[in-house]
Amino acid sequence: MVSIDTLSYQYSPRTAPVLDGISLTVADGALFGLLGPNGAGKTTLLSLLTGLLRCPPGKIFLNGQDVASRRGPATGLALVPQEYAFYLPLTVGENLTFFAGVQGLPESQIAERVDHCARRAGIQDRLRERAGRLSGGLKRRLNLAIGLLSNPRLLLLDEPTVGIDPDSRHFILETIRDLNRERTTVIDTSHYMEEVEELCDRVAIMDHGRLLREGTLAELLVDGGGSLETLFLNLTRRQLRD
Amino acid sequence: MSLFRALIRKEFLLLSRDPHGLLLLFVMPAVFVLIMTFALQNQYAMNHETRLDFFLVNQDGGQFSAAFARELGAVSPFNRVTADAAETELRQRARADEVMFLVVIRPDFEQNLAVRARAVKLLVAPGTSPVFAGIAEARVTELLNRFYLQYRMASLPGISAGVLDTSTPLVDSESLFDDSGVLPSSVQHNVPAWLLFAMFFIAVPLSTTLIHERQQGTLMRLQTMGVSRARVLSGKVVPYLLVNLMQVVLLFLIGLYLVPLLGGDQLTLGSHPAGLVLVSVAASLAAVCYALFIAQITSTVEQATIVAAVFNIIMAAIGGVMVPRFLMPEAMRQLGDFSPMAWGLEGFFDILLRHGTVVDVLPETGGLLGFAALMLALTFVFSRRSASA
Repeated sequence: MVSIDTLSYQYSPRTAPVLDGISLTVADGALFGLLGPNGAGKTTLLSLLTGLLRCPPGKIFLNGQDVASRRGPATGLALVPQEYAFYLPLTVGENLTFFAGVQGLPESQIAERVDHCARRAGIQDRLRERAGRLSGGLKRRLNLAIGLLSNPRLLLLDEPTVGIDPDSRHFILETIRDLNRERTTVIDTSHYMEEVEELCDRVAIMDHGRLLREGTLAELLVDGGGSLETLFLNLTRRQLRD
Repeated sequence: MSLFRALIRKEFLLLSRDPHGLLLLFVMPAVFVLIMTFALQNQYAMNHETRLDFFLVNQDGGQFSAAFARELGAVSPFNRVTADAAETELRQRARADEVMFLVVIRPDFEQNLAVRARAVKLLVAPGTSPVFAGIAEARVTELLNRFYLQYRMASLPGISAGVLDTSTPLVDSESLFDDSGVLPSSVQHNVPAWLLFAMFFIAVPLSTTLIHERQQGTLMRLQTMGVSRARVLSGKVVPYLLVNLMQVVLLFLIGLYLVPLLGGDQLTLGSHPAGLVLVSVAASLAAVCYALFIAQITSTVEQATIVAAVFNIIMAAIGGVMVPRFLMPEAMRQLGDFSPMAWGLEGFFDILLRHGTVVDVLPETGGLLGFAALMLALTFVFSRRSASA
């Protein structure tokens, strides 16, 4: 379970806070959507969760453990960044083997794990292909496959379907659903309304570092008159007007 | 799989897929060594290879001047190029660098010599090195003095003809380079010089991969996997150290086998290979840490490439890579003392030229390791600053 309690964060004392009193809870096995326009604070929140940024004590708890008191890497958690965060000159197989290796997987298990994750992401036939020569959709799948290597219980997705064709988008969303069915908790940050509407059971809408609304998808759809987009625009525009 | 094994394997794979990096690290220095070794061969081989071609115009026509002209043609390293042409035409041909000098024996040679007046004019072709011009002037002066003595002593009784014999060398000159007495050749300078130049050029491929990792979010992803920035950086030290050592082996092999095969002199490795290994490793650590620093202070591949190239060329120019330091004036030599490439070069020369031991290379090795430590410290300072920004 992820529990965030009145979290505020600013990069320096001279700048405005990028997160301002955020509180939310993501239950185990949830498929949680974090919606917000650019600059809403979504990426900062993910960076605090993964330990890329130092978290103030007593603000974020992962399975009851204070993230601020964590020593070493976050276990059971994986981030799939928005960028193609792998090596374009290496093949798909070499990339997967490398990222499995740096996470300390035993040599004997690497090949099997690489094969499993490649199948999961539908790139098992592309293992010998250079990552730089893959299409945008296949690159997104490789990005996802790398995130699955450590078999995480909590998967943080940062815009996982941005800039790809409908087929690949459909495949990635299906894969995320399958993972969630197998009890992987997923936090999907996105600014695609339809993606969140299609995928998530709980949704939070953020802007300017503040949590504007959080609830089940059904609750939010009611608030938006049947449209998440309408609610999103109403909330964010009202926020701007205020 | 251990973390470092995975990092090292990845770096080698990335480098092997980078044809431009390989060209820069291996092909460029190999070509430079070959070109510069043969181009500078004469600068180092005054004793047996150099020929100073000249035209001669004798305006005197007497027997004494004819004897001087014959003698001048026989003095090493002069080589008289015979040409049946007027002085004006020979001047033009000398101006076109057809020969290095035009020697003009003035009229009344014998009388001029007797009163110590200027008896010969030396016209230096525009493309002739000042070093060769100096040598030519010294040799002509020496020969004129001998002829003067011959002229003055000819009338004195009891002077042995052997005193005036110009064919017998009066100075026994030999190099301290090795027991054979042969002078060090250009290969002894060019192999270590261009090797150091190439070693420091790893700044380009290394910073390219590091900047790509930063820009593409790979570094961030690795951090979420528990691989700290420091580990990523140290994971680059070993592979690039090995790449540097591969450069050492390649260029030494070229000096040992390819240069002699193409007609040049063979590289001599000296008698303390441990010293060579020590200097190579120290120079490599200096180059790798310098490369990490370049990657840290630049934000794009273009910036890193330009900054690395500019600093490398400056370090090479003042460090004696491009122009040997013994040809530089004192002020330039003192400036060169600030270049890590000069330290590395002196370290290699201690072994390759001066037959030094491991102890002799310790000052240069210490300097290189100190430079490496400084670069690494600055890298971590800048790394922390950018991480907290």
